[in-house]
Amino acid sequence: MLSRVANNLIWLERYMERGNGMLSLLKVNYYANQDSPELFSWEPIIRNYNASSEPFHTEDAIECIEFLVFNTGNPNSILNLVIKARENARSVQEHISRELWLSLNNYYLYLTRKDLIKKLREEDPIAFLDELKKYHLTHNGTMDITQERGPAYYFMNVGKFLERVIQISDFTEMKLIEIAKTSDSLEQSFYWKNLLLSVGGYQLYLKTHKSSFQENHVITMIFQDKLFPRSMYYCVSKLGRHINQLIEIQELEKNNTEFLLGKLESTIKYTSIESINEQGLHNFILGIKEDIRNISMSINTVYFSHSS
Amino acid sequence: MSKDHLFSSYDQLSSTWDEMYSSNSEIREQYDMIIDYLKNTSKKTLSKKEELSKQLFMSQGVTFTVYSDNEGIEKIFPFDIVPRIITAAEWDKIERGIKQRIKALNLFIKDIYNEQFIIKDGIVPADLIYSCPNYLREMKGVKVPHDVYVHIAGVDLIRNNDGEFYVLEDNLRTPSGVSYMLENREISKRLYPGILPRNNVRSVSNYPNLLYKKLQELSYNSNPNIVLLTPGIYNSAYYEHTTLARLMGIELVEGSDLVVKNHFVYMKTTNGLKQVDVIYRRVDDDFLDPLEFNAKSVLGVAGIMAAYRKGNVNIINAPGTGVADDKATYVYVPDMIKYYLGEEPILKNIKTYQLGRPDELQYVVDNIRTMVIKKTDGSGGYGMLMGHEATDEDIKDYLDNLRKKPENFIAQPILKLSTAPCYINGQLSPRCIDLRPFALSGKDGIDICPGGLTRVALKKGSLVVNSSQGGGSKDTWVIQ
Repeated sequence: MLSRVANNLIWLERYMERGNGMLSLLKVNYYANQDSPELFSWEPIIRNYNASSEPFHTEDAIECIEFLVFNTGNPNSILNLVIKARENARSVQEHISRELWLSLNNYYLYLTRKDLIKKLREEDPIAFLDELKKYHLTHNGTMDITQERGPAYYFMNVGKFLERVIQISDFTEMKLIEIAKTSDSLEQSFYWKNLLLSVGGYQLYLKTHKSSFQENHVITMIFQDKLFPRSMYYCVSKLGRHINQLIEIQELEKNNTEFLLGKLESTIKYTSIESINEQGLHNFILGIKEDIRNISMSINTVYFSHSS
Repeated sequence: MSKDHLFSSYDQLSSTWDEMYSSNSEIREQYDMIIDYLKNTSKKTLSKKEELSKQLFMSQGVTFTVYSDNEGIEKIFPFDIVPRIITAAEWDKIERGIKQRIKALNLFIKDIYNEQFIIKDGIVPADLIYSCPNYLREMKGVKVPHDVYVHIAGVDLIRNNDGEFYVLEDNLRTPSGVSYMLENREISKRLYPGILPRNNVRSVSNYPNLLYKKLQELSYNSNPNIVLLTPGIYNSAYYEHTTLARLMGIELVEGSDLVVKNHFVYMKTTNGLKQVDVIYRRVDDDFLDPLEFNAKSVLGVAGIMAAYRKGNVNIINAPGTGVADDKATYVYVPDMIKYYLGEEPILKNIKTYQLGRPDELQYVVDNIRTMVIKKTDGSGGYGMLMGHEATDEDIKDYLDNLRKKPENFIAQPILKLSTAPCYINGQLSPRCIDLRPFALSGKDGIDICPGGLTRVALKKGSLVVNSSQGGGSKDTWVIQ
């Protein structure tokens, strides 16, 4: 596969996955913010996802959603992410399924409708966010059902799970900053619950631990659960599986990507909750992020090593 | 007829061939079925179909992006829902005529870059060739696989008021529009359920397979690596590039994906360099190789021409074919047909005046109101003067400029392009059209996809069908 194509496939999924995560975050924070604006400010989300040179401040929920969905000056706005994802898809059409291209193109056309912003401003904001989210669900489902298991699929999944791992780290860190500001254990438990909701693990948590939000349980589930599809462990092992597939079909050089991944996987799997608490969750996450950066760099060398 | 609202404003242009109406205002037989269908369909439904066609183009991504203020806007090429219909007899002549023409033009290009018999025999003047900006010295003596230079041609035809098809341009470089031929048909299938099979419309969907087969034949390798080279995502024909690559199952590459090493061309893949055997390039000659042509080009590949001359890669169409579709060379095509094939041309040329000749220039100046003047190396409908609609000042400015280098200009009488019915604002109105069939040449001969792209000048009374200047397109049905 062309190196440029591999790169475009990885980024196509990174953009889509980032958009998907942002939409979840916006939806969960909207509900929480309407309950307790003093605890669930929009500021941390804007700080994390405003990549434009202009600072932006608002505590108005609709203004914030509008900014993060439609702002053209922010490279991380949903609109810009989808534009970039579509451009990537457009340039690799001979590698992705027709259905995948069509569904992404339709998402783009929906987002660029002139009257869409009115829908957000005047109607139910949750319905608005759900509608966008549906395009991501369709995207993921379409990819799963129509894309043959080959290099394109594996590279896309590498992008998807890389982004998801980064997202779990980011979401958790955002909450850690808020949690550090309070010593009220009830308030802290709100944040943990909110984190679960943002990563989509709330239901599973209830099933497993009932309605009692204990830090240790939440951390264990989000970072180490084997069956929760948005746990750090699950995503890292999925990432590893797709990278191994690529190595197997000789689309990726073995170099040390495999080693780095194996190391990260066992760190996450075998570090006990006591040991995480001892070093601090923040430091634990920093370590993971560092490893992910190295893995990402080592994949990158694939497309740069042949460029001369 | 007045009771037929759909036709109430069908004002035929004077002394113009209409594809639907005969001279005594009867509907030509080939249009019976579709007109019947349109008559029996409400205006509301037809307008819905028109809207549907627009949506289909958008949702299928059959668009090009126009960038302004960092914002990309998706545009579609306008599509008229009423098909243009060609009978089997008409098509037979077109097909034979184009095959004959392409055969002669291909022999001409081979001759020009090799022995130059046609110059030695005094048929074509040498200075015509050497002054042609599209003549490539770099191609002299190059051995081209199977002697095929023009693999893909998109010959533009118009129909004059005598009902005959005339060749307007040969388009032997990188003609575009074939994806619209394919897409327009897909849209028709959805707009007119059942009508295509009942009309026995010949299928065009085989084009990508045919093209792939031709490209494959051109390599001496039995399983060649064929790629399509695009200038990139900002090119207005990018949709076509992605579609053809997808439908043929070949890799779409950009210049930066390719590299030349030891006179072989490779693409940069995730598991190293992979050799490329055939390049269907949609990049102009000028941008193909910065080492030999435009040094600033980043669209091409350095060293690709050297690899080509060594026979290590095949480039489609061959570089230098532009020498044969130049507007000044056009005049000589009938002579080429007689010279190389010993045949009479089946399709007519339009009477063309070479303005480098003082007597012809004088004649054109005297009759300027009935003439269209074109630059010999121009395309896309730019740099033209339409004598019948230009102001005196326009004409003066144009002629002043022309007199500096009159040999770079030709003139032709303004022809009456035939008209075909178009669905405009809820009614059928005649609009001028042309036809671009696509011909594919390979080692076993020439194949032409039945039909092609019908371009239509959607502005009332306009003769300019180019998409960049208010033109649109129609599906083209060859029936029986």
